[in-house]
Amino acid sequence: MDDPRSATASQGRADRRARIGALLDAARDGSDDALGQIVTELSPMLWQVARATGLSSGDAEDVLQTVWLRLLSHLDGIRAPMALISWLVVTTRREAWRVRASGRRQLPADEEWFSELPDQGPGAEEQVIIDDQRRTLWAAFGQLSGRCQELLRILAFVPRPDYQAVAAELGMPAGSIGPTRGRCLAKLRALLTG
Amino acid sequence: MKSSDAAPYEPMDDFDFAILDGIREFFAQADPMPADLPERIRFSLAMRDLEAEVARLADEEDSRLTTARGVEQSRTITFDSESLTIMIRIDPNRNGTVRIDGWLAPPQRREIEMQTAADPLRVSSDEQGRFAFPSVPEGTARLVVRAAEHDQGRPGRSVVTPALIL
Repeated sequence: MDDPRSATASQGRADRRARIGALLDAARDGSDDALGQIVTELSPMLWQVARATGLSSGDAEDVLQTVWLRLLSHLDGIRAPMALISWLVVTTRREAWRVRASGRRQLPADEEWFSELPDQGPGAEEQVIIDDQRRTLWAAFGQLSGRCQELLRILAFVPRPDYQAVAAELGMPAGSIGPTRGRCLAKLRALLTG
Repeated sequence: MKSSDAAPYEPMDDFDFAILDGIREFFAQADPMPADLPERIRFSLAMRDLEAEVARLADEEDSRLTTARGVEQSRTITFDSESLTIMIRIDPNRNGTVRIDGWLAPPQRREIEMQTAADPLRVSSDEQGRFAFPSVPEGTARLVVRAAEHDQGRPGRSVVTPALIL
């Protein structure tokens, strides 16, 4: 699972955060283009948040449109990238669950993700080892409760500097120094190493 | 391995982050966001109308028709809002534009606008609720059904559909 880009990943995260901060300022001043760039940047994360609740693709698209429209009337109160990401994740999750509860269309159980692991094609020995690690991870992930699967899927897409704030918003424990792993991640670790 | 008894309240370490990276890579690949979604969202943000009633996509169906001109693809889309159901059928024209035939339920006369990246197109529905745009450029577009003059004394509201890619 080692990322060859990890040496520059930290710098990349700082740059991204600064860029989102600048776009947020411009969007608050009325720049449609800046707002559009924020939409492009953060929608993939919100897609995962919506889909993690089990919504169909069509409903997830509706939820994202609704959330971004709603942001327009909240933009004035959102000053920092962390607050923006936190507001977006929490609002998307709430709206997605609201739509789900209205029960129009739902996906069958989550297991379907794990039966069809994307095939990486024929590979060298290294690839086989990576595939093995993945298979182990999905098998363990699939044993978690639905709620843990949802929370970890959301957190996996949250930018690392904002992890703590979002985790706290979602009702997961936040440490005094940095993020703690929380019960769901601790359970997954135990399944992977136990 | 000592990490097997990792406590929930311990600070996260590299192994935790590697696990999250693995989860992210999996879902990014297994369930990616539709690539055109940000563009459609940007489009609806740019054309926002805060007073309007927003219709929801209720149903979408693709069908392939074999005609004298070959195989053609036609899409039928239904939108629902509180006051109206809008059904449209999209058929490709030969010159790269599309033809849109639509129906409003309950049937009524309304002004209907097709907002596209270019100038908006305007038509009216007839008493049966039927309307047609014979030639709409491809790309992102959405329909706005203008407010009725008066809805039993109350001022009516416009109905807008989500942005769609033609």
